Amino acid sequence: MNSILEIQDLRVYFRTIFGDAKSLDGVSLKVYEKEILGIAGESGCGKSTLVEGVLKLVKPPGYIHSGKVIYSEKNLLELEEEEFRKLRWKELSYIPQGSMNSLNPVIKIEEQMIDGIISHIDIPYTEAKEIALEALNSAGLLPDVAQMFPHELSGGMRQRVCIAMSVCLKPKIIFADEPVTALDVVMQKLNLQTIGELKERFGVTVVMVAHDMAWHAEVADRICIMYAGKIVEIGLASDIFTEPLHPYTKGLLEAIPSLERRFSKSIPGIAPSPLNWPNGCRFHPRCSNKMKVCEEIDPPLIEIEDSRFVACHLYGGK
Amino acid sequence: MRIFKDSPKFTTGVIIILVLLIIVFLEPTINNYRLKGHSSTEIGLYDISLLSSREHPFGTDTYGRDVLSLILTGLKYSLLIGFIAGSLATIIAVVSATIAGYKGGGIDTFITTVSNAILIIPSWPILAIIVLFVRKVDLFFLSLILAFFSWAGSSRQIKPQISSLKERPYVELARVTGFSDLEIMFKEILPNFLPYIFVGFSYAVTGTMMAETALRLVGLGPADIPSLGQVLNWALYAGALAQGHYFLVLTPIVILILIFVSINLINVGLDEVYNPRLKQITGV
Amino acid sequence: MENLLELKNITKIFRRASFEFTRERVVYALNDVSFSMDTEPKILALVGESGSGKTTICKLILALEESTSGEVRYKGIPLSKWLKEDLKEYRREVQIIFQDPFETFNPFYRADRILWTVIQKFNLAKDNNEAKSKIEESLEAVGLRPKEILGRYPHQLSGGERQRFMLARVYILRPKLLVADEPVSMLDASLRAVFLDHLKDFKKNGISCLYITHDLNTAYYISDYIIIIYAGKILEKGTVEGVIRNPLHPYTKMLINSIPIPDPNKRWKDKVNIDITQLQKTSGRETVKGCVFYNRCDYAMEKCKDSVPPMKKVENQEVSCFLY
Repeated sequence: MNSILEIQDLRVYFRTIFGDAKSLDGVSLKVYEKEILGIAGESGCGKSTLVEGVLKLVKPPGYIHSGKVIYSEKNLLELEEEEFRKLRWKELSYIPQGSMNSLNPVIKIEEQMIDGIISHIDIPYTEAKEIALEALNSAGLLPDVAQMFPHELSGGMRQRVCIAMSVCLKPKIIFADEPVTALDVVMQKLNLQTIGELKERFGVTVVMVAHDMAWHAEVADRICIMYAGKIVEIGLASDIFTEPLHPYTKGLLEAIPSLERRFSKSIPGIAPSPLNWPNGCRFHPRCSNKMKVCEEIDPPLIEIEDSRFVACHLYGGK
Repeated sequence: MRIFKDSPKFTTGVIIILVLLIIVFLEPTINNYRLKGHSSTEIGLYDISLLSSREHPFGTDTYGRDVLSLILTGLKYSLLIGFIAGSLATIIAVVSATIAGYKGGGIDTFITTVSNAILIIPSWPILAIIVLFVRKVDLFFLSLILAFFSWAGSSRQIKPQISSLKERPYVELARVTGFSDLEIMFKEILPNFLPYIFVGFSYAVTGTMMAETALRLVGLGPADIPSLGQVLNWALYAGALAQGHYFLVLTPIVILILIFVSINLINVGLDEVYNPRLKQITGV
Repeated sequence: MENLLELKNITKIFRRASFEFTRERVVYALNDVSFSMDTEPKILALVGESGSGKTTICKLILALEESTSGEVRYKGIPLSKWLKEDLKEYRREVQIIFQDPFETFNPFYRADRILWTVIQKFNLAKDNNEAKSKIEESLEAVGLRPKEILGRYPHQLSGGERQRFMLARVYILRPKLLVADEPVSMLDASLRAVFLDHLKDFKKNGISCLYITHDLNTAYYISDYIIIIYAGKILEKGTVEGVIRNPLHPYTKMLINSIPIPDPNKRWKDKVNIDITQLQKTSGRETVKGCVFYNRCDYAMEKCKDSVPPMKKVENQEVSCFLY
């Protein structure tokens, strides 16, 4: 499989009066063509910050501290803003968290999409309109939606419109941040399926950030688990669920209540603060497999087998 | 106290106001010393229209009054009127907005109608008429009527914010804990409102001061309460500029400007430091 | 034996402004809803999606709003009587845990103020010392360390810590009925179980819980009974094993079918059926004609459009559907 985007040791920090909050602290990751990559983790792990960093959307008091993002043989972080703008939406598309609530309430759906298209590529209005309608269709929406206002649609349908907007210009990679979080269960299923179909229809790569492991189980090919600003495990979805390696991954999976079993278990302790990451392995204060070395040395992310990565002292190298 | 370090604007504003307040505090002492027990508005104390000298650093006016002392007194009254009128206006605005915003319904409609009426009616002419026809306008009455025409704008601005705060879960929690409406208004909602109240207060102070100055400049207002506006009015009517008495005209103007500027600097400084959207550094 | 809580034929109408001058939009947030909880401590899950009316029920029970018609009874006495004669006692016995840990604290005060206020308001301690020890005891009972937590402001605490404060408040107050409105939806998945376990503990200590949620999974985890609500109407109710293992109403089946299974080998096989009518929001219907689920039901019949199916006892549950 070809790697289409490579993130190298990306660090995004936030300035505070107590010093820098190291929200994203050294993440390296390869994104492959035509895959759905799920980024999982809980609040504060840095997953949203990762996407913002890659797309250079970090706002003050946050700033990109260091790292590289290689796309098309160029380091995106070094590109001028003008050049990068051309890439955004055309090749790298973004569905931010809560985007369904950010649609302009006084403009018809169709107009909003056309506005967006025209501001990115110089084509006549009629062509842009065609593109918009086609995008709506590919997201499984009826053409009637184009003439509606956002408030006339339910939250789930608005989110589908946002998904449609993201594929307008047939991008190579779509970054979706918590795309189904605020939706009803049935709409969640609908939108997750839509995202899954994008890969089938367009061969587009999707990077989906979500805290709910079950959603990743439904659509992701590979899953990357993050904790405390770093990646702790990467693997194929089936591997992660059947054979989780990292104790945190195991804990996450055990915490999922499901209708198959009336059981759920929490991970003891609380998530650490980015102002003060624990020494050594950041998960060690909450880990039941803790060893002496875990308190002192932060385990690097190593490739155990083909495409299977874990950052834990319990596992050796390849 | 970090704000003094973080915001030069705030610090400057505070320093100016403090200096002015200290002067006002010392005014009785200074004037007593300089005028030897006489009032600064007393006519004929000195020779008229004297120019700047060691004894009269700002000269004397056409009524034979020492300009420096007159200005000090003027500053005292201006600040006093501004402060009292501003406080009254703010209190009325906050109380009316809170009751209207929290209770809603009939009382809300009533208060809103009243405030709308006050806003629409051209307040300044009515202010002028009241001052013209009321026989004895003392300091408190003057402040009261200035406040009366000043509270409506703030009230209308504050009310919808109170209405929205009413829906917050912590207010619902307070209700579920058995808090009475009054307790909720004053213990839960208003404390979160202090920054806005403070800003509203500062604008009320400057607003009423300006209205008062405007009254004076057309010759209205009690002459025995010589605010800076009154001093300015006397100067202009006596043709001070033509006679070269620049101090008499410029000093009240400059001091008024200083007061407005310093209050605005304080507001801007506070906003810069505490408004999360403008923050360059987080964690305040 | 009187029921602990009873809702009888509750209807709640909201009047909204409409873009048309002459017509006022009438929205039925709740339409003829009835259910009850008996005095034996149990956890009843009220499952519905946004706009189903579950939050309105929560506000009605807590007397934050009034119903348009119908009656709420607590211990057999109408709510209106409680409010007039013994509001304090009602507030003591019926309490809430909110969904949003960030908004339930007044940012102006320290976090522990919510514990001090309940002690003061309900006279739960003779003096400051007793109050302090009660507070410390309650914090420890929910897994917080008093030395670290007391004196902090809400913004210095994490979401999980704040929700635990809410639990501590319940611990001190010991209500008879706790209404929990989506208490874990804003918590990290890895913390939910421990929170919900506390609700189970409360049940053992005599506190009944009305657990309001959209998440069938957590409902299954802790509740004894379950009620499914949609667009202001109850569609199915029964024991949680009964409803989950053998769902009767098409909506319940649809809900269960839409839940993602955390197993990549068991992915959804079917696709969601989308229809133009699904574009409109489902919250708050404007008429009371016909079954609320008509527009989305795969089994819809002609009579479903015109009349409301009555609540019928079928097998172990009660369903409102013409299929039965």
